[in-house]
Amino acid sequence: MQQSVAGTGRGRHKGLSKVNYNRYGYYFVAPFIIVFLIFQLYPIVFTFRTSLSDAIGWGKINSSKIIGFDNFRLYMDPASPVYWDFWNSFGNTLLIWIANFIPQILLALLLASWFTDSRMRLRFRGGFKMLIFMPNIITAATIAVLFYSIFSYPIAPANSLLQQLGILHAPFEFFRSTTASRTIISFVQWWMWYGNTMIIMIAGIMGISPELYEAALVDGCSSRQTFYRITLPLIKPILLFNLVTSMIGGLQMFDIPHLLTEGNPNKTTNTVARFIYQQAFTGSRNFNYASAASIILFIFIVIISLMLFWVLRDRDSARSLRRKAS
Amino acid sequence: MKKLVALFMALVMMLSIAAVAFAETPKITLIVWSFTDELRGMIDKYYVPSHPDVEIKYTLYPTDGSEYRNKLDTVIATAPTGDEAPDVFALEAAFVKYYVNSDTTVPLTELGFTDEDFANSIPAMVQIGTDSRNGMQKASAWQSTPGAMFYRASLAEKYLGVASPEEFQELVADWDTFMETAEEINEKSQGAVKMFNSIGDIWNAYQYNRAAGWVVDGKLNIDPVLYDYLDLAKQAEEDGLYNLGSAWSETWFLGMKSDTTLTYLLPTWGLHYVLKPNCGNYDAETDSIVEGAEGTYGDWRMVDGPIGYSWGGTWLGANAYKMAEADDAKKAAVKEFIRFFTLDEDFLYTYAKDSGDFVSNNNVVNKIVAEGGTPNPFLGGQDHYAAFSTAANLADGTIMTEYDDAINTLWSDNVTTPYIKGEKDLDTAIADFKAAVAAAFANIIVE
Repeated sequence: MQQSVAGTGRGRHKGLSKVNYNRYGYYFVAPFIIVFLIFQLYPIVFTFRTSLSDAIGWGKINSSKIIGFDNFRLYMDPASPVYWDFWNSFGNTLLIWIANFIPQILLALLLASWFTDSRMRLRFRGGFKMLIFMPNIITAATIAVLFYSIFSYPIAPANSLLQQLGILHAPFEFFRSTTASRTIISFVQWWMWYGNTMIIMIAGIMGISPELYEAALVDGCSSRQTFYRITLPLIKPILLFNLVTSMIGGLQMFDIPHLLTEGNPNKTTNTVARFIYQQAFTGSRNFNYASAASIILFIFIVIISLMLFWVLRDRDSARSLRRKAS
Repeated sequence: MKKLVALFMALVMMLSIAAVAFAETPKITLIVWSFTDELRGMIDKYYVPSHPDVEIKYTLYPTDGSEYRNKLDTVIATAPTGDEAPDVFALEAAFVKYYVNSDTTVPLTELGFTDEDFANSIPAMVQIGTDSRNGMQKASAWQSTPGAMFYRASLAEKYLGVASPEEFQELVADWDTFMETAEEINEKSQGAVKMFNSIGDIWNAYQYNRAAGWVVDGKLNIDPVLYDYLDLAKQAEEDGLYNLGSAWSETWFLGMKSDTTLTYLLPTWGLHYVLKPNCGNYDAETDSIVEGAEGTYGDWRMVDGPIGYSWGGTWLGANAYKMAEADDAKKAAVKEFIRFFTLDEDFLYTYAKDSGDFVSNNNVVNKIVAEGGTPNPFLGGQDHYAAFSTAANLADGTIMTEYDDAINTLWSDNVTTPYIKGEKDLDTAIADFKAAVAAAFANIIVE
């Protein structure tokens, strides 16, 4: 960089440019670095250490000894007490996440393309966007209470409504049915997050050069063709971003299952984050088991994210890069 | 600037001279932690006026989301003798055993208490405050929270022909007669009135039928009587003997104001803070009935029920690590704090009269009962203090363990609910329960 500055003939200012402003950069990032080191890096390192230790109970949290990979072996050994619990919650988490993510991304895409379509003159766009985004602003605790009272048993709005419509003849205990409980949780997750996904999609679509759409309009493309041939391929990076962030958030799903069903019925709505919470903060406070489970979850998320990046990588640019190289 | 500094210095000097002059005996500071405002109110109103030489630093952490316990555990694990750590802390029934069965709390004898000091205390409260490992008492309670059975007089008379609490008690003297009565009321009312509202109501009392608690000598103990409990719950589910509610649900509260539920098993606080405010026609401002409104005010009576039990309570314990370093003055102050709130009969009497709370001292309770007690219009004039005074001494506190809160939830989630709803057979349910206990508690042997 300095060379090129010198090369453009501004070399006589060299003495002045010696005044080094770089350090101000460090000053400005220092608060972040300090906060990061204390509140992010240290806990992460501590979790790694705890996962290799015998820290069970508060009394041993500061005096634990390193015992190697025994805590990880628990999750590989079907005879251990936590094996079934952990992998069961893993399966539940994936299932509930997928059931909420597929409808979420489809609806978000549809709404985003409607809201950005210049040919569709939708009225009250701002109002709609706000309404759709609203569930995301309400805290999870409030939503959990709301859905808990709607689907309670035996006297609650959902049961009364279904009985009055003649669909049910006796009250149905939603939170004792695996399918119903999982569906309700997936629905709540979907309902809370599709607005958020939609906003990101809209941002992605707005980022596409309008010239492309104008050209498509001149060429006589239909809305549908424009969407499939222009919008979709160009927002692929945004889709990937959404997929990865949603997956990371989804695998760490905690609040709604914890507050709404507490993992019931029969642990079919227990999630990995809830499992970790239970290991660390209930029972005998098995911090080491919980840390090991967190690390396994972390590794799993890294692997899946890398796979998603690889599957959805931009093939064209990869090819052109290779061509350049050769 | 110099002037300012000089002025400041002068002020500091004057103040320190003044401080020495006025505070001849330095105040002892006690750090007190609690999870509600209740104790703070009691300190301000009763303790501070009679103890001018002690300064109380009160810290409140709510119990919601176990914040209180996590704060307490963290400070005990990291800096148990630090300036932040409490000298005295309040303990709730859900976790009092966890702290008295550990080295966190100091034995009360080390503070100078003797067993005779607690001779008049209600036994269950002393038993729960005692370390199960060595029998040393470590926490003391000002309240007692005996449970009783509340029933609807009009429904009992209409369907069962019962005219007095004594007659009703005979119908619920033990769990077998309780179930017979449940079948009878279901039949005679043609299903309109159920004996109880939720299975959880029964559990709170029934668990006191056990001979021993959940964990005995480090091993999980499923008391044989629990299988009888499952039979009872299954029969109630199959014959439709309860309202299908669960504690704190809409159905549960509805049963308190409508003619659908005959009995509730609730403790002292349940009468004042749960049943009464939810009876439909109670006006909290005037503490009386709302004329013309629909509700059940005045129609409730109370009896001991099938078994004596205790539900709730607040204990005071002292930080063992701080007491080990404390001088005699400090120890004396801590002792006096615990003595004043939990053993001082004059205080307990005044407090009981002011608040209507049921206290932990039999002398005080008997004195209030002898004075004519507290006839309660909500109970049709029945004296709840007298009724609780018999119930209070029935409960056996020795079956409480530090694992109860967590294991009770595991029991209900893995066994009671799936089994009575026919989702699992008994063997699977018990096996799942054992696995869940083993997963939650690395330190309990499960066979």
